[in-house]
Amino acid sequence: MGEYLLEVQNLKTYFKVRAGKVRAVDGASFAVKAGERLGVVGESGCGKSVTALSIMRLVAQPPGEYAGGSILFEDQDLLELPESAMRKIRGGHIGMIFQDPMTCLNPTMAVGKQIAEGLRIHLKLGSDQALKRAVSLLEQVGIPDAATRASAYPHQFSGGMRQRVMIAIALACNPKLLIADEPTTALDVTVQAQILELISGVCNEFGTAVILITHDLGVVAGMTDRVVVMYAGKVVETAPTDELFANPRHPYTLGLLSSVPRLDEQRTRELRTIEGAPPDLLQPPPGCPFMPRCTFARAICRTMPPLDPVAGNAAHLKACWVDVTDPKEQAYADRRRKARLEAMQAVINTPTDATVQQTS
Amino acid sequence: MDVPGQINITPSEEEIEELLELTPALVQKRRSQVRIIFDRFIRNRAALVGAAYLILLFFFCFLGPTISGHNQPDVIHPADASQAPILKYPFGTDDVGRDQFARAMAGGQVSLLVGLTSMLAAIIFGIGIGSLAGYYGGIVDNLLMRLTDVVLAVPLYLLLFVLSATFSDGSPRSVIFLIAIFGWTYAARLVRGEYLALKEREYVLAARTIGARNFRIMFRHMLPNAAGPIIVNATLLVGANIILESVLSYFGFGLHPPTSSWGNMISDGQALYELAPWLVFAPGLLIFVTVLSFNLVGDGLRDALDPYMTER
Repeated sequence: MGEYLLEVQNLKTYFKVRAGKVRAVDGASFAVKAGERLGVVGESGCGKSVTALSIMRLVAQPPGEYAGGSILFEDQDLLELPESAMRKIRGGHIGMIFQDPMTCLNPTMAVGKQIAEGLRIHLKLGSDQALKRAVSLLEQVGIPDAATRASAYPHQFSGGMRQRVMIAIALACNPKLLIADEPTTALDVTVQAQILELISGVCNEFGTAVILITHDLGVVAGMTDRVVVMYAGKVVETAPTDELFANPRHPYTLGLLSSVPRLDEQRTRELRTIEGAPPDLLQPPPGCPFMPRCTFARAICRTMPPLDPVAGNAAHLKACWVDVTDPKEQAYADRRRKARLEAMQAVINTPTDATVQQTS
Repeated sequence: MDVPGQINITPSEEEIEELLELTPALVQKRRSQVRIIFDRFIRNRAALVGAAYLILLFFFCFLGPTISGHNQPDVIHPADASQAPILKYPFGTDDVGRDQFARAMAGGQVSLLVGLTSMLAAIIFGIGIGSLAGYYGGIVDNLLMRLTDVVLAVPLYLLLFVLSATFSDGSPRSVIFLIAIFGWTYAARLVRGEYLALKEREYVLAARTIGARNFRIMFRHMLPNAAGPIIVNATLLVGANIILESVLSYFGFGLHPPTSSWGNMISDGQALYELAPWLVFAPGLLIFVTVLSFNLVGDGLRDALDPYMTER
């Protein structure tokens, strides 16, 4: 077995629509070691969830298709496996938690039974034994009075409790990898921390590797060992979490980090954003997909940069031609940013017929 | 260990009991799903009346003959021929002196049996076809639904007349079979529609992520969620099937004498309508009220099984 538990190599997942092909995941590569916690961040629509579904091979075909690349799980290519072997992987070796616990539990099935189901499928337990394990799993995820709650239905649980049940389901068969697709987005902030703590605690206990998909940088900072930043279906930067936050090297990561509002700064400071919107994945721009929004952009960015290690740190990879730490580049980017802002201000302040009439 | 100034915050057992008594809402046991549905059902008066009538009807048909002693539907009493309803013969007798009360009960057994069994067969078949079509979609869906369309396009009564004239031996079994092989179409369409919607639900995706097979997803996860409409449809189908059986028997294509059913009782009695109207009214009224009750119960279930129900 290789160094990695899961290796995603140049994965391409496309969706065929009438207008053409949506390149939801377009050549993403990353890897997870056994027991490691990997964060995947990026804004909405950059291919995070599709990557997760691709690993489970649950992208509906059609309209989806795996156009290339490979997903090696314990040196087996999941994209090549027959469906029956893939079913053993799902739930048995890779567990998954979804964003919305409200809709992911079957409303007509008691939660104990839903947890027991995976045990019955994969470990071939009898219904009594499976239910017993389910109760102890419910206890482990912190549901009080688990024995009676196991026969309750999802609608009798609160959102946080349901997410706990989802975690119990995902971890029932002691998988080697847990994919958590925005596990706290639909939850109350106070519950979010509990759920994250639970995930991290239980996964420590079981030695489970975690892929945590989120757009919340705070979650990533607290939870993960390493971070993958995705943009427009591509991995643009990956580094150990501390390194990424201390020393971001891709303009997109820089933008993400500087757009996090901070409590310790001036209250009147304008919130920083990354101007523009992600590219249309039907016709992604040639070259670097971030170029249209990037203040560092140069002519060379019209060709796609490779995902190469940053000088001096083999664990830190970025897909960018520009060295963002170079003061000259920074000055250039600052100038471009200011020019952009001024141009925008000008557009906003241009008197239209309506405002002219109002003032006169 | 009572250290002065430190407050003991762990309540004792007794205190907990007391607290629980003070907050009855928390102690109140949650009602089960079935209980919630039942509570909602009995709040619907019309459905309740229908259900009560149906229960009485079952007792009437299956226990009535033994209890009342009217257990000889086929025996002729020539001395009492064409008797109007009296205490001895509550539904009167026909022109050869058969006890109509006994016949109504025996016929009721057959009618209920035919209605329920053919419903069951039709629903099971409909669920099979509909869930395959809805779940797999694509070419499977197309083939099965076009087949359904073909069956629906055939003039039902004419085909049933022809088929029963050719194949049926007039036994309840053959009539059940005839009704069932054409009764599944609406159930299939309904189930397909439900499955088309249900398969996009996230819990179906979640079931897939734990490695469930297609059949497990179809019948363990999706079928219970489609149960409401299916049960309603099944209830309404019983009424429809009882009518269908009566119509077939009325035209002489259903159950053959001496097996009595409400349909062929009306058919037998209509020639004597002016002399002995009770021969038509009794079974006619039974069919009418029974079908009405099944429909009322179906409507009641439709409300009770509303998927958006809340625990009220």
